[in-house]
Amino acid sequence: MQVPFLTLAGGCRRAALAIVIGGVLAVAIGACGGGDDLVTIDRVGRAEAPKTLTVQLNASYSPQASTPEAAAGFKKLFTAWAKRHPEWRLDLNIIGGTMTTAEQARLLQKAKVGQAPDCANVDSFTIPLFIEQGVLKPVEKYFTKQQVADLFPYVRKVITGPDGHIYAWWWSTDLRVLYRRTDLVPRAPRTWAELIAAAKAAEKKDPKVDGYLFNGGRWEATTFDNLGYFWSQGGKLLDPRGAPIFAEGANRTDMLNVFKFLRSAVTSGISPSRVTTFNTYDEFSTAAQAGTVATFLGGSFQWPTMQSLLPKDEFKKWAVSELPGPRPGETATGTGGWSMAAFSKDPAKVAACMDIVKSIYAGPGNTVTGELPTSRRLFDNLKAFQAPIFKTFRRFLRDAEPRPGLSIYPSLSNELQIAIGRVLTGSATPEEALQSAGDRVEQTYQLLTGT
Amino acid sequence: MAAPTLDTTRSRQGAIARPHPPGSRRRAPDHLAWLAPLLAMATLFFLWPLINVIRLAFTNSTLLRDDYSYTLSTFGQALTDPSLPGVLVTTVIFVGASVAGQLVLGLLIALIIQRAISRKLRGAVLVRSVVLSAWVMPGILIGVIWQIVLNEGPFGLVNSALASVGLAPVSWLSDTKLAVLSVVVANIWRGTAFTMLLLYAALLTVNPDLYDAAKVDGARKLRTLWHVTLPQIRPVLLVNTVLITIATLNTFDMVLALTGGGPAQATEVLALHTYNAVFVNFNLAGGCVLALFLLLASLLLTAFYSRVLPEEQR
Repeated sequence: MQVPFLTLAGGCRRAALAIVIGGVLAVAIGACGGGDDLVTIDRVGRAEAPKTLTVQLNASYSPQASTPEAAAGFKKLFTAWAKRHPEWRLDLNIIGGTMTTAEQARLLQKAKVGQAPDCANVDSFTIPLFIEQGVLKPVEKYFTKQQVADLFPYVRKVITGPDGHIYAWWWSTDLRVLYRRTDLVPRAPRTWAELIAAAKAAEKKDPKVDGYLFNGGRWEATTFDNLGYFWSQGGKLLDPRGAPIFAEGANRTDMLNVFKFLRSAVTSGISPSRVTTFNTYDEFSTAAQAGTVATFLGGSFQWPTMQSLLPKDEFKKWAVSELPGPRPGETATGTGGWSMAAFSKDPAKVAACMDIVKSIYAGPGNTVTGELPTSRRLFDNLKAFQAPIFKTFRRFLRDAEPRPGLSIYPSLSNELQIAIGRVLTGSATPEEALQSAGDRVEQTYQLLTGT
Repeated sequence: MAAPTLDTTRSRQGAIARPHPPGSRRRAPDHLAWLAPLLAMATLFFLWPLINVIRLAFTNSTLLRDDYSYTLSTFGQALTDPSLPGVLVTTVIFVGASVAGQLVLGLLIALIIQRAISRKLRGAVLVRSVVLSAWVMPGILIGVIWQIVLNEGPFGLVNSALASVGLAPVSWLSDTKLAVLSVVVANIWRGTAFTMLLLYAALLTVNPDLYDAAKVDGARKLRTLWHVTLPQIRPVLLVNTVLITIATLNTFDMVLALTGGGPAQATEVLALHTYNAVFVNFNLAGGCVLALFLLLASLLLTAFYSRVLPEEQR
């Protein structure tokens, strides 16, 4: 028996179907590079170019970036690169915005079985893990000594292996800061108590705003953003051997202080319970655009986004300050960013990968994305980073700390995300949540180290 | 050319034997030759990975170390994981509610479409297309769509609609109980089309004479549905139930995109828990133990299906 809706009858329907299929094919062929464009959805360079390089990129660092300016900027940069290197074709694998951190474990696995792309975006904090697993190729010979020396010390430390070789080029960095609307919160809060008081006052002044927003959902930023509050008290996540100690001794007290502060942010009403659903920084910029937030813990990379999203008069109201601490003067923040690394064993491919770094990312890519350069020289010379705000960010970087690039960190981060979620929803006390997180991370540590 | 003779002798089971050409020897069909491609594919793509998963579950292997030793302790650790009971409860609720919702809605839409087509009403194709569009979308995309729909900020679609009629916003994703409901609703939205498709095809196979007979007997619509339609489509209904249960049990992409398993672990289903064990904790052995739980659940459901399905449909 025929299922009627799976059959088409009549010349008219067939004609309509042919038109639809033709249209879809035309769009698909166009999108897949049927034209002469040097940059298509999955390729850069001529389709018939003799050499190929497989490249894995975050969407935001590619011609498929969600912001039109960034997409156009990277398209221009990649087109210029393809014209200069007609012998190369780049086969692109683009990773969507919400999957970039999760993708790192898959990338590591692919690299271990020799199936990694030739060249890929690697999250800066995972570089030591990739080095430890021996899947990256040394790249220092593609850079001058001066270029290496210009890198910020914490950047150089992370990309350098125990053997002294450089294994990736960390080209964009960032840090977490407190954004505030100066018409509602004129003075930068220096302590958690001042933040709560200022946010409450702001809500009183403008009832439609949330006093303080921060990441509290199940994603990396929930841990990383709030770690600044832990580090500002002198807290340590791991001991020098890499064993987790965040739930022990003085570190336990420091972490409990953070949990209690976050819980009080929700119970005092300055933060809505929906912070537990946040899994993108866009929540903050959208709220700023809608005029519904007074302060938020965001990334330095959001400044250019806010500048483009908000009307000039509205944007003028915003300022940034260092994260408050439990006591005045205690501040710290997390710094991250993205690198490019080469996985190929072919020296020509490694060279091409590093040429992409130098031509597209380190410098030009910073200008396109507004993400901070990792080099002093670029910070000083790039026109895009001469505005006073970037001097401020550079000053704040002094108190910035990268995440530990060890295999235990993803598990530690995941357990802290769960613990923070449990504290924020009230489903566990800070003590219970921390105890559980500490136990589970310890168990994973023992498994990973075979102890 | 001699016509084939018809062997009308009955076999032991009472069936009439098939005709065969004169002079030809009756041979048992070559089962192995017929099954060879299937066996090769199953071994390569199912059996071999399965054996590896079982083997790795009895080790302490991680994604990062090449060396490992055989141990039973991974089972002990997985079973005594304090978060496992919560994950299992969430999984049972997620699977049970999703399957029930998909069955009811899928059947309802299939019946409506059948009725619309029998009455030659316009728009039936549109309804089918709209429902099917959800089915063809990747899980990640569905998660993102529902995140926009259920966003609790002032720009969330559902809360905006509620606000426009003077109702207070609802904590769709931040309340630990409502978050589970939200994930279930999104999964029902995603999977209803598959059920609709299968049940609609099954409805078309029901002999119309049975409906006429029911009408003559004075049966109302609900009684006809219960006593005629459902028994007639029962085999498809059962196969569909098993298929969507297994599919839901293995769902993690949509949940990952919608809630990431949060708030806290409120929506962390077993498949997502397994993914986290392997790709976040690098615990390959622990992930394999959890994968075996998933497999066991699927096998139990298949066994259940085999028992419930009428003999002639197996």
